[in-house]
Order: sequence, then structure tokens, then C-alpha cells
Amino acid sequence: MRQFGKILKFELNGYLKNKVFVGVTLFLVLAIAMVMFLPNIRGLLHSEKEASGSAAARPVMLLYARDGAVASDVQTAFAAAFADYDVQTAQGTEEDVKTFVKTGAAECAFALDGLLSYTYYVNDLGQYDFNCDTAETVLQELSRASAMVQAGLSPAQTGEILSARVTGRTETLGKDRGVTFLYTYIMIFALYMVIMLYGQMVATNVATEKSSRAMEVLITSAKPVSMMFGKVLASCLAGLGQLVAVFGTALVLYRVNKAAWGENPVISYLFDIPTGLFVYLLVFFVLGFLLYAFLYGAIGSTASKLEDINTSVMPVTFLFIAAFIVVAFSVMGASSVDSTLMKVCSFLPFSSPMAMFARICMSEVPAHEIALSIGLLAAAVVFIGVLAAKIYRVGVLLYGTTPKIGEVVKAAWKA
Amino acid sequence: MILQFQNIHKSFGEKTVLKDVSFLAESGKAFGLLGRNGAGKTTSIRILMNVFPADSGQVLLDGKPIDYKKIGIGYLPEERGLYPKKKIMDQLVYFAELKGMSRKAAVASVDHWLDRLGMSEYRGKRLDTLSKGNQQKIQLVTALAHDPDIVILDEPFSGLDPVNAMLLKDVVKEQIAKGKIVLFSSHQMSYIEEFCDSIAIIHEGRVALSGDLHDIKRRYLRDRLVIRTIDPQPIRAAFGDACTATDGGALLLRMGDPQEKRTVMKRLVEQYDIDEIKVFEPSLNDIFVEYAGKQDEEEKRA
Repeated sequence: MRQFGKILKFELNGYLKNKVFVGVTLFLVLAIAMVMFLPNIRGLLHSEKEASGSAAARPVMLLYARDGAVASDVQTAFAAAFADYDVQTAQGTEEDVKTFVKTGAAECAFALDGLLSYTYYVNDLGQYDFNCDTAETVLQELSRASAMVQAGLSPAQTGEILSARVTGRTETLGKDRGVTFLYTYIMIFALYMVIMLYGQMVATNVATEKSSRAMEVLITSAKPVSMMFGKVLASCLAGLGQLVAVFGTALVLYRVNKAAWGENPVISYLFDIPTGLFVYLLVFFVLGFLLYAFLYGAIGSTASKLEDINTSVMPVTFLFIAAFIVVAFSVMGASSVDSTLMKVCSFLPFSSPMAMFARICMSEVPAHEIALSIGLLAAAVVFIGVLAAKIYRVGVLLYGTTPKIGEVVKAAWKA
Repeated sequence: MILQFQNIHKSFGEKTVLKDVSFLAESGKAFGLLGRNGAGKTTSIRILMNVFPADSGQVLLDGKPIDYKKIGIGYLPEERGLYPKKKIMDQLVYFAELKGMSRKAAVASVDHWLDRLGMSEYRGKRLDTLSKGNQQKIQLVTALAHDPDIVILDEPFSGLDPVNAMLLKDVVKEQIAKGKIVLFSSHQMSYIEEFCDSIAIIHEGRVALSGDLHDIKRRYLRDRLVIRTIDPQPIRAAFGDACTATDGGALLLRMGDPQEKRTVMKRLVEQYDIDEIKVFEPSLNDIFVEYAGKQDEEEKRA
């Protein structure tokens, strides 16, 4: 146990003294700090804009009527609906309008055929350009109003009919997937990132010790189980430490800066994660990481050269990516979060950290199923950990060609 | 203390690496473990260090299986076994702590050894900034810092200049004088001959020869004389084919019968201008080549 403590401390120090590790952590902390101050920065820019506040700062939208002049009520309705634009009526021909858009004098233009047909001119159509939807709503209302007036209703009656609104509310009896979906995604991606980065680091770390022959002295000084668990837990702590630094900074700055964020639902959901879910997140995250880190460590010990690491770790990486894809796709199609495939995946240790957490977040899972999943995962971590230590003991002393996995496992089993 | 390898067998998969290996090493004496590359020396050392168990047989210390919690083993591997990118002090203290020392004791001991080997100025440096010889000295500190009862030195002199080799010799002699069991493994026979009282030659997993080095040499038929003279010609003419020149410039004279030693010596001294004359004893190198080489030839013939 004492030996394990020494190894853990030495390995952890290795991370903390690593300039790249410290640099990346600082960079991430700074980046997240900047993101957390985004509303203030944006507010500052906005207020500057408002101070200089002329309509010229807004992009121009042209209105053109093919059958004569644009009616004043159409112009007024468009100006009200497109507050971000400087809505102007176009002079000249339709070709002139196109030229204005093409040269950038106007950002976009609507050429109207009465109230029920139009052509929208824009230079490059953006992914999030909803101007046509807005224009259609405005034109529909105008057309209905004019029809009602023609049918003999007074403008006041028309206004009343058109302004009638339906009110309603949603009461979520189960889970609001719109919210829990967010936790699932963050957990899955954080786990993906940490396993990919730190898992590889564990493998490289072991292989470096082997290729520098530091192993020759280590293996005669410490028990392989202490070595393996010390290394893997150190990398787990380093990874968690990095995440705590980044998300901790985000949380503290969010608290400091809450007023500027206002009622941003995504951000407030993110930082108000229920305690129960947070505990599950931590448990599945740590166990999931340990499981894969042990595998990476064992594989690192069988590589003969540092250059072989990338190819040697491929089977484990594929296994993890497969689990990741199954869960990520099931979460996207929210109905399939309770599919048979997801249920099976939520008990298989290699996918359960992601699958079971996704199910807990987005569906109702009986407590005994959660307990069983955690139990299986924890047992697998211990089993893989001990097996990895045995492989490590055999693997680190094998130089020359990389041995076959089957042979190593067989030899480790005997050891 | 007496360290005893008793009928050790070890195989990896289909390959048998050690077959019935037995030998004895005593405290206060150095023991040389010899053998060609791949003979089974490193496997023997790893079994001794409990890296893996023997398939059968036992390693005993004073007749009992070794209690690895109580008995410290220091190991100097043949190749550098250190972290190239880490600071020397950090890794040396780490290794000493892993061997069970407290941090304070580890720091004190490492400081003592760095000072003893003239390496104190490098304590804050990274290992890969040091020369090969200096790295070897740092490696020696990992083997000795925890004051082990058994010291295993695998090719300890490789990469050392004559001054450092002398320093290492002094350190090894100190360890022997302190009553430790010192196990040498080397291909440099002159060093083994200088330090070791007893040896074991392992050839293809078997002990080809073992015992007290002096006794082993005595076992050879003392039927040859080594003669040093300024003028070898008359001697060669007088003794014909029985007298041959050696690589070192001396003459080797084979006698018909070892009993004739006195008569022949007297005749030589009286009749020729002799600088030195002694009975020929084979060097360890000769013995090694004979045992490791002879069996190869036998196998070829078979």
C-alpha cells in the first residue's frame, strides 16, 4: 500500500511537472474563462454600436414590387418584423435589385408579386437564414387582413381576430430530454476526450519505461499490481484534475457573472445539474476511465518500441469508438435510448459508463438495474486491473517482436 | 549468509531456459555468473529477484526460502534502467523509497552515494544530459542506495573509463568487505578473475562448471611451463614441437609428465638466460572458452 502511494505520487508529479500538461490546462482554463465572459464582451460591443447607433450600421433589405409601388403597410409590416435590417423600398428594375444584392449594397431583397408570391434574393444563403419564414408570416397576415376588410369587417375587428393567441403550458412528468440530453452529451464527450488523451498517455508512459529499461529496476522494486494501479490512478486523477480546473473555473465565473448571462436556459441547466445525476456522472466517469486506462496500460507493456504504440492500442480504441458511436446515435434519436441495444450496452462494462448514464439521464431506470450496472462495471475494473498488472509483469520483460495478445494473456494467466 | 540455487528449472512456453541449475554464493565473497549471450544468466537473476518464479527448484538463503520483505536486493542491470527525462535526485529517491526506505533516509543515502561517486553536482540535472559512464554511476546508486544484502551487478564496468572503473572496483570491494553477497555477471573475464572467489558457467541453460575459481584452476593438469626470455631461439631449438610461442611473447613448454617440473625448470635456469619461469595456469578466459566452446563443437559433431 505504501509502495502504491509512492508510485501514485511520483506518477502524479510527473504530470504536474510536465510543461505540456500544465500549458494545455492553463490554455483550457483561459479559453473557458473567455467564454464565460462572452456576454459581457458582447454587451460591450452592442452598447458601443448603440452609442454610435445609426441605421447605417444595420444591413439593408430591399423591398421591390413587380406590379408597381410597394404599399406603405407592407413596408411598415416588414420594418417591424425585420428589426435587425434597414428595410428600404427599391427603385428601378428587378435587375437593379439583383445588382444591389450582388455588389453588397443590400444584403438581401424581396421581389413581391402581390401578397401571395415573392422571390427572395440573397448572395450566399446562410444555414440559419429564416428570413423567408418571417416574410411568409408577415405576408400571410397582410393578405388575411386585406381579405377580412374586403369581406366587410372593420379594421378593429380584423386586428382582434388576427391578434388572438393560444396560451398553453407543458408539465413534464418524467424527464425533460431537452435538458438531460445536454448532460449526457457533455459526459459522453468528456469521457471520450479523457480516455483518448489519457489512455494513450498511460500506454505511452508504460512503453517509455519499457524502452528506457527503467522497467528493469522498477519491476524488481515494486509489485506489478502497485505499479499498474498507481500509474492508472495517477492518470485518472490528472485527467479529473484538468476537468475540475476547467469546469470549476467555468462554474465560479458563471456565479460571478450570473447577471450578464441573464436567463440563458442552456447555461443555467448546465450549472444546475441535480446532485444525484452528478454523483452518477462521477461514478461512471471514473470507473469507465479506469477500465480503459488499464487496457491501455497493459497494451503499452507489450509494445516493443515506442513507435508500435499507435498500432498496438488500435483494438482498444476501436472498441471504445464502437461503444461511443452506439450510445451517441441512440441519444440523438431520443426514442431509442430505451432500445434493446441500449439496454444491453448499459450492462456491458465497455459501454455501460456511457449507455447507463445516458439512460439514467434521459429515461426512467429502476434502481436495481443501475446497481447491477455499477456492480458489473466495478467488478470488471478490478478484474481487468489485475489482469492488466499480470500482462504488464509478463509484457514488460518481452523485448523483440511484439507478442500476440493471446500468448501474452495465456502467459499472464499462468504468472 | 549462503545463497543457494537448488535445481532450478524454468521454461517460457516451449523453450526451456534453465535446466537443473544449482550453485552456491557466500556473503563476504563475490560470485561470478558467466555464460554466453542467451545462456540463461538474466533469467537466473530474475528468478533470484522474484520477478517470476521458477517452474521447479528453490532459491534458498541460509537454507530457507528468501523472505523478500526482509532481504534487500540491489540490481545494476546491463542496460541503463532509468528515466532519461527526469531529474537524477527525483528518480534516485523514488527508487530508494520503492525499496522501502523513508523519504528522509532515501535522500540522505542518495546524497551520500552521489558524493561518494563524485556526482553531487548532477543531482538536479536530467539523466540524458550525462555521459554514458556517469549514467552508469547513477545506475549504481539505484543498486546500492537502500543498503541491500545481496548486490547483483550485470556488466558493471561497461562504459567506464579507467579512473571510474577504479572507483567502482573500490566500491565493490567495500561491499564485499561489508559481508554482502555480491553477484557479478560479465563478459569481461579479467574483472571476474580479479573479484570473484567462485564462479558458475551457464551454458544453454545448464551449469557447465561451478565452484571455487582457485580449485577449478588447480584441477587443470599442471604440465606446462610459461617461460619469459630475451632469446627464445635456443630453447625452441632444444625442445622442438613441445615448445610454442604464445600471443604475449612468452614460450609455452609442454612437459611429458608434471612430475618432471623441477628437473626441467632447473635445466632451463642453468642452461639459458631466463627472466621468468612458472607453471602455466589457465586464465578464466581460457576456461570459459573451453567450456562454452567445447560443448558447441560436441553439438556440431552430434
